[in-house]
Amino acid sequence: MMYDVIIIGGGPAGMSAATVLGDRVKTLIIDENDRLGGQLVKQTHKFFGDHEHYASTRGFEIADKLLKEIQKKPVEISPSSTVIGIYPQNTVAYVKDGQIQKVQYKKLLLATGAMERQLPFVNSDLPGVYGAGAIQTLMNQYGIFPGKRFLIVGSGNIGLILAYQLAQTGVEVKMILEALDKVGGYEVHANKVRRLGIPILTGHTIVKAIGDEKVEGAVIANVDKNFNTVKGTEREVVVDTICVAVGLTPLIELAEQSGAKVSYIPELGGYVPLRDERMRTTNHDVFVAGDLSSIEEATTAMMEGKIAAMQIFEDLTGESLEDKILYDLNSLVIFRSGPKSSKIRTGLEKMGINFPKIDIPKSQKFEKYDDSKLHAVIECNEEIPCNSCEYACKFDAIKVGSNINSVPSFDPSKCTGCAVCVTACPGLAIFMKKVDGKTATLGIPYEFLPLPKMDDVMWGIDREGNYVCDVKVKRVVKNPNKTNIVYVELPSEFVDMVRHVKYQSKESPYVCRCEEVTLDEIEKVIDSGITDFEELKRLTRVTMGPCNGKNCKMVVLGILSKKTGIPISSLSHGTSRPPTKPVEFKVFLKEGEK
Amino acid sequence: MKDSYGVVIIGGGIIGSAVGFNLLKMGVKNICVIEKSYISSGSTGRCAGGIRQQWSSPMNVRLAMRSVELFKKFEKDVGMDIEYKQGGYLLLAYTQEEEEDFVKNVKMQKAQGLDVEILSKSQIKDKFGFMNLDGVRIGSWCQSDGHANPQIANIAYAMAIRRMGGDFITHTKVEGIDIANKKIIGVQTDRGYIKTDTVVNAAGFESSKIGKMINVDIPVHGERHQILVTEPVNHFLDPLVINFNHNYYVRQTKHGSLLMGQGDANPMPGEDLGNSIEFLEEMAQKMVKDFPILENVHIVRQWSGAYDMSPDAQPIIDESRDVSKFIYATGFSGHGFMLAPAVGEAVAEMIVHGKTITMDISNLKMDRFKEHIEIEKNVV
Repeated sequence: MMYDVIIIGGGPAGMSAATVLGDRVKTLIIDENDRLGGQLVKQTHKFFGDHEHYASTRGFEIADKLLKEIQKKPVEISPSSTVIGIYPQNTVAYVKDGQIQKVQYKKLLLATGAMERQLPFVNSDLPGVYGAGAIQTLMNQYGIFPGKRFLIVGSGNIGLILAYQLAQTGVEVKMILEALDKVGGYEVHANKVRRLGIPILTGHTIVKAIGDEKVEGAVIANVDKNFNTVKGTEREVVVDTICVAVGLTPLIELAEQSGAKVSYIPELGGYVPLRDERMRTTNHDVFVAGDLSSIEEATTAMMEGKIAAMQIFEDLTGESLEDKILYDLNSLVIFRSGPKSSKIRTGLEKMGINFPKIDIPKSQKFEKYDDSKLHAVIECNEEIPCNSCEYACKFDAIKVGSNINSVPSFDPSKCTGCAVCVTACPGLAIFMKKVDGKTATLGIPYEFLPLPKMDDVMWGIDREGNYVCDVKVKRVVKNPNKTNIVYVELPSEFVDMVRHVKYQSKESPYVCRCEEVTLDEIEKVIDSGITDFEELKRLTRVTMGPCNGKNCKMVVLGILSKKTGIPISSLSHGTSRPPTKPVEFKVFLKEGEK
Repeated sequence: MKDSYGVVIIGGGIIGSAVGFNLLKMGVKNICVIEKSYISSGSTGRCAGGIRQQWSSPMNVRLAMRSVELFKKFEKDVGMDIEYKQGGYLLLAYTQEEEEDFVKNVKMQKAQGLDVEILSKSQIKDKFGFMNLDGVRIGSWCQSDGHANPQIANIAYAMAIRRMGGDFITHTKVEGIDIANKKIIGVQTDRGYIKTDTVVNAAGFESSKIGKMINVDIPVHGERHQILVTEPVNHFLDPLVINFNHNYYVRQTKHGSLLMGQGDANPMPGEDLGNSIEFLEEMAQKMVKDFPILENVHIVRQWSGAYDMSPDAQPIIDESRDVSKFIYATGFSGHGFMLAPAVGEAVAEMIVHGKTITMDISNLKMDRFKEHIEIEKNVV
């Protein structure tokens, strides 16, 4: 059978391409899985990006939408089909229902995606060591939990999102390790997991998995600048599942068989097919799109799929789609103009695809905040390609502007307090705030079950996952997109500290993590008649650890204030003693003494 | 706060608190302790908490031994675990003079019944292999010496006082003392007037100021001493180690952190309790030399406190000759915490019985300064 176009791979790139084709050209889309969608079907988080490209929509919902569009067209879909090779005379051979099939194409679009990278460590073959994708498949597609206590290796967006999804199901994520000295993924994703109390340890790696027949723990260690483990820093953590999320490698085999040249470009993920701006490989009839062409976001995969499809359409019909192609190429260039895309730009430039220097306009600062009326608080300070908040705001209060990577500008005087942006933001980085004297109202995006109920008393949690104060639920706004908003009442002092709420658990929360002092212990001492901060500190050691109280002093004062009725401003708060950061004895030694 | 008390104790540090506690224990219920700030805000809360009996005068050794007896019962008597540990005190001698002093003192201390001994250098090495003992000649070792958490001890006393019916009033300043015919009538505070005929001046380095209010000269002045604390490390150091020659002391707390300090070459007189970077430099250099394992340990905090220095670096415990029932317990010169339980008992006895019963502390009277002054040398 001869097709005008065969698309191999029904993920975001292949599906978007199919939506463009289909009407006028005879199209077949082949996919290994029993349904189209690729990695989208296990993505339960909302996507970043442009509202034109499904920003604010959850991955599996994007897959559903794309599928519906494809089904409207006369596109042939061959699911559960494994392509075994590309053969001469433009022949694709695949196995379906136990039977070999042979089809031919005029144009081929490869959107085969990528596979997860392995990480070598001792006992990495133990049951209980998984790739991130495997865990997402088990959990989000089949509802199976491979473990109860997770260690995640890798802090790219995949590792961060997985950590968040695991936490949503109620299992424990002990920590995320990152070999680099900074978090790999988007800051807003990192913040989402940090406030759940999941620490991200940069400069760390896994040395080995512990266990005889299955994972019972892991040895982790610090790494130096060359990613070698630092001797003596090894320590054990108790986990039953280790999840490796250290990146992806493009699946290039079919591309090579089709005659496309590949080249090793680490910035793009390893060996990738050489291609031009419009996704055409060195074989005139073969195109690529998505993670196969460079490891990136699903959003760019969809844009690339569309561009490739339009070029294929031009090739086959002779009709011009130049305006549309140029428009999409320009969007893609702008999309990739942010700092997080610098690696991709470098990689593509190696391939000969040049990027014009594009300004990312700075966000405008508005000073006047009237806290007496409910308004949004946007905590999005990294230049990432997303403008879902701008699109969500019907009152012109939020502007991202011409470059989707710009940090949003927020004009509080235009904000009506509708909170639509809170539900739209895929980074859960927008909150609602109102201060009314001693009491404040805080609106928090909430994606956990069960939903809080009116008048419930919960724990207010800070950006690092620490207890701050008790809060009272005043209103819960349910949203169809499942990012609900929980409005809570809390003392004004803490309205800028609390960023998450959770139900009180049996175990008292740590107030002082350095010295492991719990809320319970503090309250007991206060109840015994100690109402002076300094005395409380001496009896419990709270604020006496290496951070010298930087993290928890306000929280302790809040507890004391709540218990005694004395406002925080009237309480003594201790002395700030040097050194402000712990310092080793050896820094005081002179040369030669060390 | 009531408007009249049988006894008013000025100063809520470890001394004033111990006096108050002992008075209540002896049945004197109508007492109050007045503290200008919070509990343990003064020298007590700033000290390292060493408890030693190795002193150079027999009477001091006996007083310290009595204190140790009371520390052993502290948790039961006062009602709180104060991290008391009899991990010993190790004193190190580097010079012939020091060695001779140690030998002489140990002989005298043994005669008082103290479990003290001279350790040879190799005996020290066997016990404390982690130390660099270059230049050490001998050590003086007493296993029943030890340390405790002074802040918790101070608060424990205060809470016991409240529990037993006394008043422990914080954040209240004494502004004056009323006298008539050499007798006390009352105490003026910034929160009201208190009628009383008995005042205990336990105001530490500020006790001279309290004396001045009624023209009683108390020869005590403040002297700043600095101290630092490290991050907690695995337990390795039982005793408090004093090194007079290298000028430092160090001990490990139950929490794991190490507390250490030195006698400043030019101690700052007065009440300035600031910190110096030189202190960290000097401490780091000598401590890493003697305790090489400290090299990578982090210093977490430094602060300072005032020693209430007397002319001979020994306490002054007495009743004024000029104003009756004006009693002072001050001038502890850096070792008030360790003596507090015995001093509290002795002062309470002075008030209840007109004289001390358990211990003879006549060597600590004010009169001694009229004669030749013999300065206590074993102080850091």
